[in-house]
Amino acid sequence: MTSQSRLDLLQGTLDLLILRTLQTGPMHGWAISERIQQISREVLQVNQGSLYPALHRLEHQGWIKAEWGISELGRRARFYQLTASGRKQLEVETDNWARLAGAIGRVLEEA
Amino acid sequence: MEDELDEELRSHLEFQTRKHLAAGLDPKEAQRRSRVEFGAVELTKEECRDERRVNVIDNFIQDVRYAMRVLRRDPMLALTAMLTLAICIGANTTVFSLVNSIILRPLSYPQSERLYWVSERMGKDQLELSHAPDYYSLREQNKVFEDVAAYDPSTVNWTSAEKAEQLDSAQVAPSFFNVLSSQPLMGRYLARAEEGPKASPVVVLSYSFWRSRMGSDPNIVGKSITLDSLQRTVIGVMPQGFDYPKGTQVWVPLPFDDASQRPRLISRPMWIVNMVARLRPNISQQQLDTDLDRMAIAIRREYPKEFTAVGFLDSMNILARPLRRQMQGDLRPALLVLSGAVALVLLIACANLANLLLARATARERELAVRMALGSGRARIVRQVLTESLALAVPGGLAGILMAALAIAYLNASKPFVLQSYPPISLDISTLTFTFTLTFVTGLVFGIAPAFAAAGISIQDALKSASHMQSGGKRATTLRHVLVVAELGLSLVLLIGAGLLARSFIALARTDLGFSAQNLLTLRVNLVNSRYATVESRAQFYDDLLGRILRLPMVQRAAVATDIPLSGERHWGNLRFQVVGRSPLPLAQRPTADTTVVSGDFFRTLGIPLRNGRTFDEQDSTKAADSIVINEAFAKKILPGEDPIGRYISSRKGSPDWRIVGVVGTIRSSDLGADPPPLIYRCTCQGNSFLSRMGIFVKTTGDARQAVRAIEEEVSATDRNTPVFDVKTMEDRLNDSLASQEFQLVLIGTFASIAIILAAVGVYGVMSYLVTLRTREIGIRVAMGARLEHVLRLVLGESFALTGVAIAAGLFGAWALSRYLKSLLYGVTALDGFTFAIMPLGLAGIAIAASLVPALRASRIDPITALREE
Repeated sequence: MTSQSRLDLLQGTLDLLILRTLQTGPMHGWAISERIQQISREVLQVNQGSLYPALHRLEHQGWIKAEWGISELGRRARFYQLTASGRKQLEVETDNWARLAGAIGRVLEEA
Repeated sequence: MEDELDEELRSHLEFQTRKHLAAGLDPKEAQRRSRVEFGAVELTKEECRDERRVNVIDNFIQDVRYAMRVLRRDPMLALTAMLTLAICIGANTTVFSLVNSIILRPLSYPQSERLYWVSERMGKDQLELSHAPDYYSLREQNKVFEDVAAYDPSTVNWTSAEKAEQLDSAQVAPSFFNVLSSQPLMGRYLARAEEGPKASPVVVLSYSFWRSRMGSDPNIVGKSITLDSLQRTVIGVMPQGFDYPKGTQVWVPLPFDDASQRPRLISRPMWIVNMVARLRPNISQQQLDTDLDRMAIAIRREYPKEFTAVGFLDSMNILARPLRRQMQGDLRPALLVLSGAVALVLLIACANLANLLLARATARERELAVRMALGSGRARIVRQVLTESLALAVPGGLAGILMAALAIAYLNASKPFVLQSYPPISLDISTLTFTFTLTFVTGLVFGIAPAFAAAGISIQDALKSASHMQSGGKRATTLRHVLVVAELGLSLVLLIGAGLLARSFIALARTDLGFSAQNLLTLRVNLVNSRYATVESRAQFYDDLLGRILRLPMVQRAAVATDIPLSGERHWGNLRFQVVGRSPLPLAQRPTADTTVVSGDFFRTLGIPLRNGRTFDEQDSTKAADSIVINEAFAKKILPGEDPIGRYISSRKGSPDWRIVGVVGTIRSSDLGADPPPLIYRCTCQGNSFLSRMGIFVKTTGDARQAVRAIEEEVSATDRNTPVFDVKTMEDRLNDSLASQEFQLVLIGTFASIAIILAAVGVYGVMSYLVTLRTREIGIRVAMGARLEHVLRLVLGESFALTGVAIAAGLFGAWALSRYLKSLLYGVTALDGFTFAIMPLGLAGIAIAASLVPALRASRIDPITALREE
C-alpha cells in the first residue's frame, strides 16, 4: 500500500479544499479538481487517485451528498454538494486551518 | 454501486479528454494523456470502496464467489479436501459428543456442582468403604456440607398379580432426596424419622417404574405394592430425570438408624453404605479437604480400639469426589485418550490440506501476482486465500456434522456394552458450537500457510520469471517439508498408541480364564427373604431347581454358587484367618482370602481342573462341615512350598477350624485384567451357606442360549414368585469384560488408519511436487548419463530423509505421551519395545511406497521433452 502515505499527507487539506470548493454550488469530480487548480493558479495539482477516495470518504461521513446530473457539456456525471453538517464541518476546518496557518506564520516570523 | 463508481471515473476521463481536445491535441493523444494523468484506475476504485467501508461485506461476497470459481476449476482437489474434512470433523464431533454426554454435561440436579460422593478409605490399598456409624458421625460433626445422605443400592423382588420381577432398588436415608434437591412429582418423599428397623413400610417410585409398571396411575399414592413379600405403601413418585443411583426403580428407607449403628463395636456387624453430600455454597476445595481430614482424625480418635483391631488406625481417610466425576466411572481416561487421538487426526488433516493448498498456491503464483499488480493489497490476497480455505472448511464441517449424527445414531441404536450405563449420546448445542468453532479454526489453520505463502510472492519475480516452476521459492518448499514431517510424526504417535492398545487387547483376550466358558449359561435368582428364612428352605429350593434343570434334555451339568465369575458382582467378602500351627498374628497382619460358596458339581460344570487332593463329595455334609477347597493362588501365596492338603485354618474364635481337602486351578473371577486373589471354596452341601441370592450355572450340549426358556420355566415351576435375572452365557460375559478395551481399540485403530492414509497422501503430494520441480534437473542428469537407480535415489533419498526426521519426532512424541496411555494397558508396558520398533518400520514402508510412484515417474523423464518444456 505505497499510495497510503501520500494520501495521509494530503488528507486533511484536500478535504478542506473540496468542502470549500463545493460552497459555491454542486459540482462533479472533474470540475472540482479543475476549479482547485485554476484558483490556486496551477500551484495545487489534485491527483485523481486522491480526489475520488476523498469524495467518497466525505460522502460516507455525510458532509457532502452526491446525485447524478447532466453536466454543462451534456454528459451524465456525479454531482456533489455540501450538506448542512458539511457546512458546519467547513467552518470548523477553516477555523482550524486559519489557526494553524497563523501559528506557523508566527513561528516563522518570530522564532 | 460498482457500476456507478465505474461511470463516475469514466466521466472524469471524458471531461479531461475533452479538455485536451479543446487545447488542440488529436483525439488519440488526448485520450492517452488523460489516462496517463489519471493513473491506476483500479487502484483508485479499490480505495474509493475502502473509504466507503462497504468493502468488508462486498469483498467477502466477492471472495466467496471467486473462491467458488477457483474450487470449481479443480473439483478433485475440492472434493478431496471436503471429504478429508468431513471425516475428521465428523470423528471429532462424535468423540466430543461422547465426552460431552459422559464427562462435561452437568448432572440434572439443582446446583449439581455442589454434589459430592463421599467415602471412607482404608488400608494400604485405600479401599473405598464407608461404614454406617461413621456416616452418622460425619453427618453430625462436619462443617462443610449442607447435608449428607447414606444409601445402599440393592435389589428386591416385586410380585404383582401377573408375575415376579427383580427390581433395582436403593435403601436410602431420609436426607437423600434433600441432598439431591429434588421435589417429588406427586406425593412426598421420606420424612425425617423414616429410617431404621421400625420405619413404616413405605416406598418411593421412579418415574419410569410408575409409567411402565403402574400404567401412570394418577392415584398411586396411598396404594401398596409387594416388595420381598412385604406390603409397602407408595408415598410418592419422583420426576423424570431423577435417577440416582443410576437405574433405581424404587427407593425404600434404610433398615438401620443412628441408634442401631453407633457406637462402632467390634462385636456388632456394621452396615456398609455409600454417601452422597451437598456442599455448602462458597466452600473451597481446601476447606473441604481440611474438614474431611479433621473428621477422619476425630472418628479414629473416637474408636481407637476398633480401628486398631482391623489395622486401619493410621490409614483411615475420608475423601470427597465430585458426584459427576464418580458417575463417569472408568470410561473417563479412555475418553480423554480418544479425544487426544482424534485431535491428532484433525491436525494431520490440516497439515495435509495446507500442503494441497500450498501446491496450488504455487501454481497460482502468477495469477495472484497479476491481481496484486492490478491493485489488490497483500492483506486482500491473504483474505481471499483464507476465504478459499473456509469455503472448503464450511461444507466439510457440515458434512462432518452429518457423519457425526449418523455415527451417534448408530452408537445409540447398537448401545455397545461400554456405553450401556450412560445416558444416550446427543448432538446438542454445545457440541454444535464446538464443531462450528472447530470448522472455522481448522479452515484458518490449514489456510494460513498458503495465504502467507501467497502474500509473500514478490510481484516482480513472479511476473518476470519465465518459468513458473522455478519461482516455487525455497520458503514454500521448506514449509511443505515441515508439514509432511509433522503429518508422518503425528501418524506415528497414533500408530504406536493403536499398536499398544492392540497388544493389550490381545493379551487380555488370550488370558487363561482357568475354566471353560463354552456352552455355559449363567443366571441369578433371588429368593424372597421372608419365605425362605431358613437355610433348609433355601437348600430345598436349590436342590429342587438343580434336579429339574438336570432333567432337561440338553443339559449336561448344573451348579449353584454365590458368585458368577466376570459378572462384576461379589457377595462374599474378604476373610482374615490364621494358619493353624503357625504362631498367632495380630488381626491386621493376618493373611486374607476371598470366600465363595459353591455346590458340589461346580468345579466339573465350569471345567476347573483339580490340582491336588479332592473336591467336595459325599463325605462333606451338614455333619462334616469343615472341608474347604482352595485355589492355586492361595497355595502359592499363603502356603508356599508346603503340602496344603490336611492343613487347617481358623478365622474366628469359637467357630470350628476349616480343613483344606483340595487345591483347584485359579480362575479369573472378578476382573480379566487383575491378578486373581487367594480364594476359599466352601460347599453348599455343608448346609450353612445357602444365600437367597445365588448364581446358577448350566453346562449344555449345544448353544447355551437355546436352554434359556426351558430353564426359566423350571425356575417358575419351582416357585412362580421367584424371578430369573442377569441371564447371560459365559461367552457373553467374557465379551462384555473385553468390550471397553475393544471399543477403545476399534476407535483408535480407525483414527490411526485415517491418519496413515492422510500421511501417505501427503508424502505422495510432496514427492510429486519435488519431481515436477526438478524435471529439468533430472532431464539434464539423464542426458548426462545418470542411470535409473540414480534418479530413484534422488527422489527416494529425499523421502528417506523426511521419514527419518518424522520417525525421530514421532518416537519422541509417543514417548512423551505414553504415560497417558498407561492406565488403559494390560500385559504390555506403555514403552513396549516391540511396538516402538515395528511401527516406525511400518511408517517408513508406507512413506516409501507413497513416494515410489513419483520416483518411477521421475525415472521415466525424457531428457529432450524435459528441456524443451522450459
